[in-house]
Amino acid sequence: MRPRTVWAMTPRSRWSVVAGVVLAVVAVPLAPRLLPVGDTDVTAAVLLDAVRGSADVGHSGYVETRGAVQLPVGDDLGDVGELLAGTTRLRVWWQDEDAWRVDRLLVAGEKDLVHDGPVTVAYDYEDAKAVVTEDPAIRLPRASDLLPPVLGRAVLEDAADTDVRRLGPRRVAGVDAPGLRYTPPAGRSTVDHVDVWVEPGSGLPLRVEVWDAGADDPAGPDVVSTFDDVEVARPADDRVGFPASRGVEVERADTLDVADAAGRYAPFVLPRRLAGFARRTEGEVAAATFGSGVSRFLAVPLRSREADPLRRQLRAAPGVVTGDYRTVARSGVLTVLLTGADRDPGAAWLVAGTLSPDTLEDVARALLVLPYVDQR
Amino acid sequence: MTTAIRTRGLTKYYGGFLAVDGLDLEVHEGDVYGFLGANGSGKTTTVRMLLGLVLATSGTAEVLGRAMPGAAHDVLPEVGAMIEAPAAYPHLSGRANLALFDAMGRGSRRRGRAGRVDDALDRVGLGGVDGRPVRAYSLGMRQRLGLANALIRQPRLLVLDEPTNGLDPQGIRDIRALLLELNAAGTTVFVSSHLLLEIEQMCTRVGVLDRGRLVLQQHLDDLRSPTGRVVLRTRDVADARRLLDHRIDEAVGERIVVRDGDAAALAAELVAAGVRVDELVAERRSLEEIVLAATGAGSDTFARTSPVDAGGAPTGPTGVPA
Amino acid sequence: MIAVELRKLLRSRRTWATILLVDALPTLVGVLLAVTDLGPRPGEGPAFLSAVLTDGTLFPLAALAIVLPLFLPIAVAITAGEAVAGEAAAGTLRYVLVRPVSRLRFLVAKLASVLVFVVLTVLVVAVTAYVLGVLLLGDQSVTTAGTTSVSGSSLSTPELVGRTFLALGYAILCMLGVATIALFLSTCVASPLGAALGTMAVFVGSALLLTLDASDAVRDYLPTRYWLAFVDLFRDPILWRDLQAGVLLQVAYVAVFFAAAWANFATKDVAD
Repeated sequence: MRPRTVWAMTPRSRWSVVAGVVLAVVAVPLAPRLLPVGDTDVTAAVLLDAVRGSADVGHSGYVETRGAVQLPVGDDLGDVGELLAGTTRLRVWWQDEDAWRVDRLLVAGEKDLVHDGPVTVAYDYEDAKAVVTEDPAIRLPRASDLLPPVLGRAVLEDAADTDVRRLGPRRVAGVDAPGLRYTPPAGRSTVDHVDVWVEPGSGLPLRVEVWDAGADDPAGPDVVSTFDDVEVARPADDRVGFPASRGVEVERADTLDVADAAGRYAPFVLPRRLAGFARRTEGEVAAATFGSGVSRFLAVPLRSREADPLRRQLRAAPGVVTGDYRTVARSGVLTVLLTGADRDPGAAWLVAGTLSPDTLEDVARALLVLPYVDQR
Repeated sequence: MTTAIRTRGLTKYYGGFLAVDGLDLEVHEGDVYGFLGANGSGKTTTVRMLLGLVLATSGTAEVLGRAMPGAAHDVLPEVGAMIEAPAAYPHLSGRANLALFDAMGRGSRRRGRAGRVDDALDRVGLGGVDGRPVRAYSLGMRQRLGLANALIRQPRLLVLDEPTNGLDPQGIRDIRALLLELNAAGTTVFVSSHLLLEIEQMCTRVGVLDRGRLVLQQHLDDLRSPTGRVVLRTRDVADARRLLDHRIDEAVGERIVVRDGDAAALAAELVAAGVRVDELVAERRSLEEIVLAATGAGSDTFARTSPVDAGGAPTGPTGVPA
Repeated sequence: MIAVELRKLLRSRRTWATILLVDALPTLVGVLLAVTDLGPRPGEGPAFLSAVLTDGTLFPLAALAIVLPLFLPIAVAITAGEAVAGEAAAGTLRYVLVRPVSRLRFLVAKLASVLVFVVLTVLVVAVTAYVLGVLLLGDQSVTTAGTTSVSGSSLSTPELVGRTFLALGYAILCMLGVATIALFLSTCVASPLGAALGTMAVFVGSALLLTLDASDAVRDYLPTRYWLAFVDLFRDPILWRDLQAGVLLQVAYVAVFFAAAWANFATKDVAD
């Protein structure tokens, strides 16, 4: 620029140039949001069917989940607390239900799940370790359960056509996605409603919002899981594999987590039904999930050395109710109940799910009268 | 004769404070122009406006016939300047500093740089300086270096603010000789100073600034033409008073001031009357007297009541004319 | 003018002292790691530091992760804060401007010289760390087998080198954002230290805001938002999203604050 023009400009015109630059750089990322979002005339029922049939739709992309479920459950339950309480960044490559890879991105590392048929590899960069396990009958929730398609299919599992209606479209990861609202019939679930936005061509859920109260709740949804980038195409085989570097220590483990271990070795056999909810887990197991759709829970017997620290942490939760036989806390859609008291030598039942505390107390009472069964 | 510097109504407010007030400067090419004023009278602000460092609130300034600051890039290469104190990068030697400044800006050429630097250093008497960093220079050496920096491009116009600050008497004489030599070779020199003696010994024209206003701008020779009085020093005071009686303006001790334009005739008259003349000289006003008559109290005095001065506006405690 | 500024920068003893100070911390960390063989627990400490004990060639990255959050930006803030305010305080600014040097060109030259300073510092840190890493740290048998990417696959040596240079380039760009903020503040205040402290306040404040959920609406505009995204270069495949956003964000910061520096400085009275 010639100096003459610099002198010729008044300070006011120079500062308006600066203001223009600021406006431009702020507006550029916001501009796409102003474009109108196209809609389709697909009905809610058709969309619901499409979602249910999307398990083997190949896709890859980048997902962010945000949870507002704050329960102090520590490390004993794996990553569950972290996954539900904060922001999680995931990369996913999904060929079908049997072949996928989900990378959970950490600031300075990664925790990856690579699923191949009956086997899952859990890799942790900072431990430089990969653990291979057979998929168990029951396990705790993990990162892959929060992917919009997986979460969307789970919550819409038993939705009736009459309980869903269309929502306006929304642009998710650059896709104009028609929306769907499922309002479960008033009952024992803590979930008020679930909003799902769907990739119109494949039925793949792109964004899922789980609300524990009406849509006008200022706190917003309890759990949001959304694609920020998505490509609906079957990813290449080498993307869903785990070609471990020689620097990675690979080991095989018999049990995946505390729920898997309890399910196999604890001295109980869970009944087919508990408090009116059907058992989902097959076989003679001591730990299992019950219910369906947005009304489901998990029942796991814990030894006192696992139960006692958990109970101490739970007592710190806001709104916790403690008593002789149980400690129960609720945050948003999730209720967690733990039976027994400290230094109780026997097993304590952990019951957690999207049900009201009262319902879980019914469940707990039924569990506490289960007889010991020697499985060995 | 072209003008080297011409300002019309040059005015600068710093916030509400009026630093320079409607200045009409006129410096001719070839002048050694003395710009006088007490500390804080607006000299430095004026110099900075001429050089485009400070922007005038109103009014215009022309330097070497071109408008400033608009034509700064054509004008300033022909101007050498020293503004207030000299400044240099303290961790470098004087030579490195000059080379660095020479490399800046438009029209800088690598060719002949070492020669230019040496010439400039020679001119100010630093030709033999070693490689010590400027940090270790004395005040006088820094002053000389600043001057060398102003000279390195062989400017048509030199603008110098207090150029002899910090120099010893010998140094002052050197600098004065250098400036006069440059002037003789065609360089216009604009010197601002609060030292009257310095200006008096060097300048052909003076401008006097008082609280932002130009109160005087004239040829020094005109200012200092004989006043029409003669100063007589004699040991025969009584005789002299008797003889000159009604022509005496003042008499203190052996010094008698006589109203008479012709010193030679007076001398003859005194000698004829037998009055012994120790000293007889036509009176000329000193620059100091001229300046004091033209200005009020120094602008760094802030008297509570308005100072008794020659027509100066009463000043409030903040120095802002009421 | 840029050449002049570079000469000033490179001949200043302070430049080299600052670079050495920045370099000292990762060097100390490297030596301590080598002597004690105690890595940080996984998930704690700077990125890549836990991996360094098995693979010394990763130490340049760990060193970058050590200096990037605080040391490097402080050094940059001090150097760039000096740019205008420092010359003004030393009195040299007025002599530069009457040379004459156009004020815009002066700002450009200052920014360029800070950029060179950042490049120099980052390279010195990386080279020291590489030498240290190869000599003192790591396990040769692992190194020859290739480096493990964050995603668990192996990286060939050319891949590792290429990505390391990309990471260094990215860090340099982030520091250029800091430098431009400091340059703007340097045109506003009289004291170079004030400009440096102001800049530090900006990035420390930004780092603090990033930890708050309440600042969700503005987090993507905060200057330090994507600083650590260079880690994404070592995932397999490279995750470009944050890196792209980071590059755009830093370019926007440079544009905005350079424009502001120019707007403020172009007709500023140089009265000291």
